[in-house]
Amino acid sequence: MSVIAPKFKLSEFIKSLLDNIFWIMLIVVLVGLPAIMMILFVIEMPVIDGELLTPFLAFTWMADPTRILPVVHAFMATDIFKVIAFPGFGFAALLAAGTIFVERKMLAKLQLRVGPFYCGKFEGILQLMGDGLKLISKEIIIPAKADKPIFWAAPVLFVAAAASFVAFIPVAPGWVVADVELGLLGVFAVIGFFPIITILSAWSANSKFPFIGGIRALFQMVSFEIPLILSLLGVVMLTGSLNLSEIAASQSVFPWIVFLPVGAIVFFITMLAELERIPFDLPEAESEIVAGWLTELSGMMYGLVQLGTYLKLYAFAGLFVVLFLGGWNGPMVVPPFPAELLTGVEMGPVTIGPFPGLPLFDQAMLNGTFWFVLKTAGVIFFILLPRGVFPRIRVDMLLNLGWSKLIGLAFVNIFIALGLLYAGVLGPGGLQ
Amino acid sequence: MADAVFLALAVITIGSAIAALEMRSLIYGSIALMGTLGGVAGFFFLLDAPFVALFQIAVYVGSIAVLILFTVMLVKRELIFKKIEDKRRKFAGIGLMLIIMVSLGAVFLDSGIKTITTDEPAPNFRDIGIDFVTYYWPALILMGLLLAGSVTGALVLAKREDVENDQRAS
Repeated sequence: MSVIAPKFKLSEFIKSLLDNIFWIMLIVVLVGLPAIMMILFVIEMPVIDGELLTPFLAFTWMADPTRILPVVHAFMATDIFKVIAFPGFGFAALLAAGTIFVERKMLAKLQLRVGPFYCGKFEGILQLMGDGLKLISKEIIIPAKADKPIFWAAPVLFVAAAASFVAFIPVAPGWVVADVELGLLGVFAVIGFFPIITILSAWSANSKFPFIGGIRALFQMVSFEIPLILSLLGVVMLTGSLNLSEIAASQSVFPWIVFLPVGAIVFFITMLAELERIPFDLPEAESEIVAGWLTELSGMMYGLVQLGTYLKLYAFAGLFVVLFLGGWNGPMVVPPFPAELLTGVEMGPVTIGPFPGLPLFDQAMLNGTFWFVLKTAGVIFFILLPRGVFPRIRVDMLLNLGWSKLIGLAFVNIFIALGLLYAGVLGPGGLQ
Repeated sequence: MADAVFLALAVITIGSAIAALEMRSLIYGSIALMGTLGGVAGFFFLLDAPFVALFQIAVYVGSIAVLILFTVMLVKRELIFKKIEDKRRKFAGIGLMLIIMVSLGAVFLDSGIKTITTDEPAPNFRDIGIDFVTYYWPALILMGLLLAGSVTGALVLAKREDVENDQRAS
């Protein structure tokens, strides 16, 4: 037996589990149930089908699919579900987590390493969970001379800005958190917040490496915002709309990348710069300035910034898909929902169903989501790929690229769009 | 609902404007200035002009505020900031503000703002765009030339001449 941890035994572990279960049950019986009863005493419960709705009856109904499926169906139409789960935060965070794992694994393969291997039985698939647990359990260290309110607020603001960026991305027809008329302008407004948060976080740490990184991030993001906005104007001109859902729906015949390849390339390069990916990762150049503007962040604050970074990556990839690759449009590959389940199935003596509210997702939505996720995964792959291929470029090369080459190419793209519009190839009277 | 939102926005805007003036720390002052500009964007949202509001956020909060922050961070405070403050200046400032507010308020109230009907449909930004390219086209072209000139000037200024040709980024 080990001297350092004498209680590190399986039997002790099982005993601690049983202890925990015992105490939880005790607290529920002595505190939880009386509290529920006292609350029920005050609240007037509804009467449904001649029965008073008590918690016990509600639990009974939860096991009945004909009762619970319409509730789930109605819940999925609410805004809360959209914000938390499907086109919003949960979906994006899931894709972001997948992106982190694929990035580590793919980078390792490109460099002839193995990558995460031991955590989880198969190819280190649980590595991300382990990393998350480690980050949560670590101590958050704040530098002594830091500006504490800004230092605490910056990671939270970063995630909030990234999540509000995600809210604009339409995933399937009708499935978008914020379907606003001026969605693209909203995206520009949200992108404008990232440099502020970065420079405030960098300044508030009161340390030299974060400050250098923050200044670089500011240079890079502010100067690349201009070609970013200009490169998207061509799509807006051809579509005649700023609503991202309308832009995606307008590409049912062909994606805009067919006509505006220059704009797509410019947008892709500016996207890499805004995301601080290699070859434009000067703000967090780990071989020069420790970790750039993330140097002083520790524990879950670093985790939050990483989460925000990958949410932003997903959102930019989704924006590229919506604007240039046709969004959710694609051939129908999802089979139709089996009609027997709607009317009820007879299996010998037993009849199952009919289940009201059963097609939880209709066919168009599943198909749209499939194509959107497929295209987004492709774009994310091309965002990740340069990290294994290119070295980092110098800051003067970066600024030169942004100010003199990309802006010029973006104007070329605008003139291509105008030419197509006035020649009558596209737009009213043309192909669309 | 709209009144409550208006009051909240007014409190945020004016409060953060006062904070931007009175804060000892310049960084916090510029953050408060962002609050003011964001509050103005909120007013535009209330006035059914999301186009202007989003541009207000993108340009003023996103760019101008960053510029101010950047300048504040890179400049030593003692060099630009000498503490000249006494009671008389303060009272004179408050008096001046009151005079300006009262006279502006008189002008607004006299301008027939009470007879405006508020339930008209919001002006569509597409109509504004159509007006721009039809009736107001000379102004649009003038603005375009001005902006193009300033962008070209910025690019020319950004191109450094003192760098040797072999050092220039390519």
